[in-house]
Amino acid sequence: MNRVVITGIGVVSPVGCTLEDFWPALVEGRSAIGPLSVARSERLSARIAAQVSKFDPAPPLEPKRLAILDRFSQFAVVAARAAVRDSGLDISERLALETATVIGNACGGQTTMDDSYFKLYFQNSPRLRPMTIPRLMNNAAASQITMDLGLKGPAFCVATACAAGTHAIGLAFHMLRSGQAPVAVAGGAEACLTAGTIKAWEALHVLSQDTCRPFSRTRSGLVLGEGAAVLLLEERAHALARGARVYAEIIGFGMSADAGDITASDPDGAARAMRAALKDARRNADDVDYVNAHGTGTTQNDRSETAALRDVFGSDARRIAVSSSKAVLGHGLGVAGALEMAVTALALHRQIIPPTANFEEVDPDCDLDVVPNVARQADVNVAMSNSFAFGGLNAVLLASRA
Amino acid sequence: MEAITDEVRQIISKELKIPFERLTPDTALQDLGAESLDFQEIIFALEEKFDISIPYNANEAAAAGKGETARVGLENLQTIAQISAAVKGLMDAKTSA
Repeated sequence: MNRVVITGIGVVSPVGCTLEDFWPALVEGRSAIGPLSVARSERLSARIAAQVSKFDPAPPLEPKRLAILDRFSQFAVVAARAAVRDSGLDISERLALETATVIGNACGGQTTMDDSYFKLYFQNSPRLRPMTIPRLMNNAAASQITMDLGLKGPAFCVATACAAGTHAIGLAFHMLRSGQAPVAVAGGAEACLTAGTIKAWEALHVLSQDTCRPFSRTRSGLVLGEGAAVLLLEERAHALARGARVYAEIIGFGMSADAGDITASDPDGAARAMRAALKDARRNADDVDYVNAHGTGTTQNDRSETAALRDVFGSDARRIAVSSSKAVLGHGLGVAGALEMAVTALALHRQIIPPTANFEEVDPDCDLDVVPNVARQADVNVAMSNSFAFGGLNAVLLASRA
Repeated sequence: MEAITDEVRQIISKELKIPFERLTPDTALQDLGAESLDFQEIIFALEEKFDISIPYNANEAAAAGKGETARVGLENLQTIAQISAAVKGLMDAKTSA
């Protein structure tokens, strides 16, 4: 079996579109959550989100291409370009034939959909734009990356809601490990912040009105986010042969289904996915130093995830550092797991554990070391990244120091 | 008020498939085996029926007072009497606004 490493990271995130902006914000716990700005927001109760505000696709993407890309595909293409650039890998025509592209996404082209329905039902327009369907389809981001970078190997999208980015990276990892591809462009993209989507989230009564405080007793719910994160995965020997800088090695991937409640996550399902990742990596629970939690900041998730961590790690659960990046990045649904895997890889590379920002008070039901508010220098040899989707579909990645 | 309580009983009876007669003002949803999704469907049905928005947040049992708007916590929506009172309060607030 091949070993698989991360040699490039590209992000389009609420805290910036370069790693120089991204990582310090995570380490310093600078939250991107702020006033929401979307079209037709008058009737929304939710007034906050973690939005990508400094994104300008114009210099990399020419106007003609831009016109056929929904916002989520714009994010994806810009992040994929950045990941390849960051890796220093020159993808030759021959390598492009084998390079895989796997992108997670939950909602498809929501901006395109919202605008189209507004035009159709509210403005009584007799027709929609010709590129409506190609812009809104869930696989658009994956397709646009292949077209933009000329990648002709295996390519597909994964639509497992809040775990999509993690599933995408995990499946790409398994493809490289088994020799199906030497290189993969893998991650997630999401641009779900439209009046229609947010209104639908309001009906679940889980959105916070002020900010996201994972694992804190004073939590008030989740805050939606958006963005893209793309990792350049490379077969380790391939990377070492060209002297590449390696952020981290991916060593395990585990999946499970709760087969239970449609929205409430099940500690048993989460624990089974974590154990599957450990087994896949042939590691023990006591090898793990850091867990980047799903940590949405809902009472239900935080308590259920804590119970799952206690189940898997036993008495070690108090020793392991556990932090959630969602206080800083919000919950970007299909991109969340990819952004968080980028955070996990950087934690292994820089040997710094980013904190759970916005932390106020210990919740007795979440009595873990959640690295409250202040980052920590630490020996991080093995780290885990958790994602648990609505619908009970769980995905867990395990990575080690390069 | 009695009319509101009867409407609330109708909605809960329909959502939880429990005979109307079994529902009294003191009946608590939890005792009827309502799960979180049942509860959200009931909230939605009440909002549709009375044309109100119930500012309920599933996370705020422990975070009362956080956030800018007055919120309705789960502890105030346990029994049929409490739910009916919350509905009435929101309807009154709507007419006086």
